[in-house]
Amino acid sequence: MKRFFKNLWPNTEKGQAVLVLAVLMAFATALSIFVFSKTSLRLDEAQSLFQVSRDVGGTLYAVAQDVHVPGYHLLLQAWTFVFGNDIVPARFLSLGFFLAIIPMVYILGKLVFNHKVGLYAALLVTVSPFMQWYGSEARMYSMLAFMTVLHYYFFIKVYEEGRTRQWIGYILVAILGLYTHYFFGFVLLTEALFYLLYRRSFPKGSLKKFIVSAVVALGAFAPWLLYVRSLGTASNTQPSLTSPSSGDVFNTYTQFLFGFQVDAMNTVIVSLWPVVVLLAFFALQKNHKITQQAVFFVLAAVIPVIAAFVISVTIRPFYLSRYLIVSLPPLVILLAWIFSTYPLKVRRILQTALVAITLGLLAIQVLNPQTPVKEDYSVAVGYLNQQVTAQDVVVVAAPFTIYPTEYYYTGAAKLTTQPIWNRFESGAVPAYNQNTVKAETDKNVLPYQYAYLMLSYDQGYNEKLKTYYSSRFELVSTKDFSDGLTIYRYKIRYDPPITVSQ
Amino acid sequence: MNFLKNSAVNPLFLLLNIGLSVAYFIFICFLFPIGNPVLFSFLILGEVFHLWQVFGYIHSVWPRKRVSEFDQNFTDAVAVYITVTGEPADIVEETVKAATEMDYPNFNVYILNDGFVANRDNWREAEEVADKYGITCLTRQTPGGAKAGNINHAMTKTKEPFIVVFDADHVPVKEFLKKMMGYFVDEKVAFVQSPQYYKNFEENLVTGGAWEQQELFFGAISKGKNTTNSAFMCGTNMAIRRIALDEVGGMSEFSIAEDFLTSLLIHEKKWKSVYVGEVLASGLSPEDFLSYYKQQFRWARGSLEVVFRYNPLFRRGLTFSQKVQYLSSASFYVSGVIVFINAVLPLLYFYAGIEPLAIGTMTLALVFIPYILVVLYTIQLTSNFSYTFRALSFSLSSFPIHMKAIWQIIIGKKSGFVVTSKKAVSGNHGYLVTPHLVYIGLVVFGVLVAYLREGFTPSVLSNVAWALLYVAVFIPFIMAAFQKVGADETVPLETLKKESV
Repeated sequence: MKRFFKNLWPNTEKGQAVLVLAVLMAFATALSIFVFSKTSLRLDEAQSLFQVSRDVGGTLYAVAQDVHVPGYHLLLQAWTFVFGNDIVPARFLSLGFFLAIIPMVYILGKLVFNHKVGLYAALLVTVSPFMQWYGSEARMYSMLAFMTVLHYYFFIKVYEEGRTRQWIGYILVAILGLYTHYFFGFVLLTEALFYLLYRRSFPKGSLKKFIVSAVVALGAFAPWLLYVRSLGTASNTQPSLTSPSSGDVFNTYTQFLFGFQVDAMNTVIVSLWPVVVLLAFFALQKNHKITQQAVFFVLAAVIPVIAAFVISVTIRPFYLSRYLIVSLPPLVILLAWIFSTYPLKVRRILQTALVAITLGLLAIQVLNPQTPVKEDYSVAVGYLNQQVTAQDVVVVAAPFTIYPTEYYYTGAAKLTTQPIWNRFESGAVPAYNQNTVKAETDKNVLPYQYAYLMLSYDQGYNEKLKTYYSSRFELVSTKDFSDGLTIYRYKIRYDPPITVSQ
Repeated sequence: MNFLKNSAVNPLFLLLNIGLSVAYFIFICFLFPIGNPVLFSFLILGEVFHLWQVFGYIHSVWPRKRVSEFDQNFTDAVAVYITVTGEPADIVEETVKAATEMDYPNFNVYILNDGFVANRDNWREAEEVADKYGITCLTRQTPGGAKAGNINHAMTKTKEPFIVVFDADHVPVKEFLKKMMGYFVDEKVAFVQSPQYYKNFEENLVTGGAWEQQELFFGAISKGKNTTNSAFMCGTNMAIRRIALDEVGGMSEFSIAEDFLTSLLIHEKKWKSVYVGEVLASGLSPEDFLSYYKQQFRWARGSLEVVFRYNPLFRRGLTFSQKVQYLSSASFYVSGVIVFINAVLPLLYFYAGIEPLAIGTMTLALVFIPYILVVLYTIQLTSNFSYTFRALSFSLSSFPIHMKAIWQIIIGKKSGFVVTSKKAVSGNHGYLVTPHLVYIGLVVFGVLVAYLREGFTPSVLSNVAWALLYVAVFIPFIMAAFQKVGADETVPLETLKKESV
């Protein structure tokens, strides 16, 4: 058996890379098709589909009012034009970027370190439950990660060689990256910081070329900024975020490696942080120099997270681990390199242990219904579809959860939101107001027999809303679905429904 | 010799290191709520010491330039002393042969034979080697002063204005004198020191660990000390101006770290020192764990005596930099106490549920991780990536040796100078790591106790990780202790135990 596998293993690096990358990409594809594509539509995905269901102008308008940039949405619009406006094909677009990341991570790891580092980094990025999750979500995050890896590739190339075609690639990908997500700015920030630290190591004339690149990239991005500015500052569907804590910083890194786990598991992982110190101790190896490129990957793994944390704490909270996916590929490359510096036995043990733990946690993320990021709108709305009649009403809160609800909803009852929101009008999602809650509730539910109050994505008032409903109406039943998604059924009227014969 | 290459470290990075260390210290001391007050006091004690170590190290490696005068035509007479205390004749002969073949116009080689006063059966062998090479053997008949006494005795029998000292196993290169003596053209230079290189470092786990520890000292630290005129003598591979030594009454016989104390006394008299960052002689590392243990104990005991009895801070005549450097080197051996305190903290949590700080483990991580990573990176940068996990393991795991040295100083127990064995002492030296084995046992049982008390809470898990860190650090040290070394040509243990001179 051993001999069989030995014969199967190619002799050349190229052959090994092709074989390993093909297996990894097949694994990611299989997991996406057979597991992730079958999960319920999530809020963000519903928003994506809603936003691209209009014409190009409408899409740009919808995205500009949101917290995003239009690159992914325009691509998704073209994609859905060809493959249909359904969640499964939309997810395959993200899968495409995820699959492209796997060989790119290998190429970058090999370029900066060596073949083995590249292969192990590709393995880590493939089994990362975080990457798997966003590699199968109809959002821009896998595209953002891909643009990041591609841009770092060109950055390393201009650092090492500085040829014209590399600079052109660098500028083009910078523009694409900026149009993929605002957080791509942290990628550029990391590169700028590295340049400041090691400017003497760059080819001559690099400063001038960086300035030209910045001018071109910003010039290309400026129209979008001006367009957003012309629309005002309204943020249509932006969820309210709280200021991050130190724990969130560590959670971000553990999520990158080990995915989304229930609190108990997260506690176990995060509490073992002194192991990081031990890994740093192991890295003290003779003549294993920390090259400038290695420093770059340290910066790339750390700067976006720290910068987002500091800005969120000091200026305005916008810290979300998925926005920071730009730090994931450099993190796995960095880890692969650090492990490669260890003595052989220690290296093999740690490499195997990390992959085994990650795969185990990936399985838990997939199988455990309590996984925090799971949003089971499919089942919840399916329940509504079976229960409601034309004499009932469905009220959803937060208002923007109307998107995924609507996607699955086929019931006979009226669907509305509280606070009441017309998403086809310009302006922000209305905030909860204690003074108007009575009037809004009256308007929403009084004419109906039963009200189904579906609460999810708590924006700080779900409990108040539930308490208010419970104080006025009889709570008939409660049903929990995924984490934070609950449906309450209230009896509104006691007079029998009016029939035609009456 | 990577450890001797110059490393260009950006001062801004060193400042960042200090900044992070101070920030960490402030967080620990003032911003985090206190848990158990007694443990907190111990923790602060440790952090003060760590801060001092960081300052001392940064002060050592801070990029400065010092140009020492050098005259390659310097030819003043030199007495080359080879100190012998019963080392095997083949080892002594190799050193004598190399010494007599050195390229320098004006020098005499002497064997300083202490074999007789050390009751060595083979003491006559040194005289036979001397006869073979036509050099003088000065055999002491009256004991006293250990190695320092041996050198002082030889000074009364020789006249050369300069003295070079080699341990019996340190074989000089042909250019040794050419590369060392030229610095004495500056009449204020009292001594010149070159690295103590162990050529047998690849032989086994002990020699490897011992050498890797040395590299940091003879690389980044000693080169740094040189820039502040704070390099001190290390007992071998050194050249000394006789009048400087005379001025302080010869090599100090009051300390078992005679070279260290004598250097301090010489610097007090405003003499200069030079460190030559080039390997000019190669010697032998202790080959067995017992010899390593004794060598470390002697260094710890001698250095700590300087802290307690000749504290550089209060010595007149030393510059500020010299005070910092001497205190920094001597106080290194206090680190054993701090390692012990830090290693015991997880155990205290397992068994008693007490902690020094009442904070979320993540908050501590946020300040600790950047601090420790930058400290480690600084060590690697400044040492040209020659520092290793094994060196760290040996340094931290030596805590029982350091604590024993401190304890003996406190109770005033006298200690003799024990020559490090040049041949492996056979036998099982595992008993020397009993504290580490007990620690591992206490960790295993403690985890169980803590789990039964509160389950795997964040605090328990975090303390498990800390305890595992210490266990992992102790493992190379434990493995070295249990490693079997060559059983042939060994010095009997009984002989070594009688070695005090």
